[in-house]
Amino acid sequence: MRDLRIAAVADIHLGEDVRGHYRKKLEGIEQRAEVLLVGGDLTRHGTVQEGRVVAEELRDLPIPVVAVLGNHDYHSDANKEIIEVLRDAGITVLDDDSTVVPLDGLRLGVAGGKGFGGGFAGKCASEFGEPETKAFVRHTREIAERWRLALKGLEADHKVVLSHYSPVKDTLTGEPPEIYPFLGSYLLAEAADAEGADLFVHGHAHAGTEKGMTPGGIRVRNVALPVIEHAYVVYCLNGDGDC
Amino acid sequence: METPHYAPHYVAARVQRVLAEDDRTNELGIRVDVRGEELFLRGQVSSDERRHQIEDVARETAPGLRVHNEIKLVEVREPGEEEHL
Ligand SMILES: [Fe+2]
Ligand SMILES: [Fe+2]
Repeated sequence: MRDLRIAAVADIHLGEDVRGHYRKKLEGIEQRAEVLLVGGDLTRHGTVQEGRVVAEELRDLPIPVVAVLGNHDYHSDANKEIIEVLRDAGITVLDDDSTVVPLDGLRLGVAGGKGFGGGFAGKCASEFGEPETKAFVRHTREIAERWRLALKGLEADHKVVLSHYSPVKDTLTGEPPEIYPFLGSYLLAEAADAEGADLFVHGHAHAGTEKGMTPGGIRVRNVALPVIEHAYVVYCLNGDGDC
Repeated sequence: METPHYAPHYVAARVQRVLAEDDRTNELGIRVDVRGEELFLRGQVSSDERRHQIEDVARETAPGLRVHNEIKLVEVREPGEEEHL
């Protein structure tokens, strides 16, 4: 099997004030990668107008684009409209489901969505007590279960999980530990580990670090723009070892 | 009236919350530190306009404090070396 180059970024937080800037940085991306994954927080306020800016910046690229939303994209209760605007521009948007991207003889399976928080094993909230607490934790548990099923059903040569929230603490290093429960949940890692994946890409933790790993050994990459400090990073999934 | 001087321990927390919730900013990743009469803003945003908006909102929320805007612009360099997994 040949190797596969995946470009990834998150937290581009686009809006009118930066229209056109990001698009310029995507020039020539087809020479570096075969697909672009965008891990949420596409906008700043989550308005449809900002969603349109995102659609303009990411549309008609020479390579397919797969995206998920982030918490900012939910802020104005326009998440559904934003998804529509992006899909109309030819961008695949995952919402707790999966897609198979055919790439010149290889099938790349991508599963995921926004994700949510709750914390990490041993230091996390549980479904106990007040209804508000239970609802918070249940939201993440249900998302994780949908991702597990989405991954399980994927028929592909390579599988990647695309999320906004983090599945592990490793990639949060640099953030205050007190806010870890709002940055991710181990349930997302557990779902990926249960079905297996080659890579787990996320954003959200602007002050975090790029590299980590799930307990089951899946490589985790925090590609938030302030972390990677590049327009995107490219990960090369190994085919026969010459990647 | 806002009286930050009577509750100095809460000024930083309040500014941080307003920066997240005010629709002009909606910035969650800004660190706010208050030392005496000085307020320090740190973090990264992607445009100069956003830097200034954050400073304006912080000034409004903590009148009487001297605001030091140490927020940096996010660098978006051309993509570099790829990582082999
Ligand atoms: Fe973000
Ligand atoms: Fe976020």
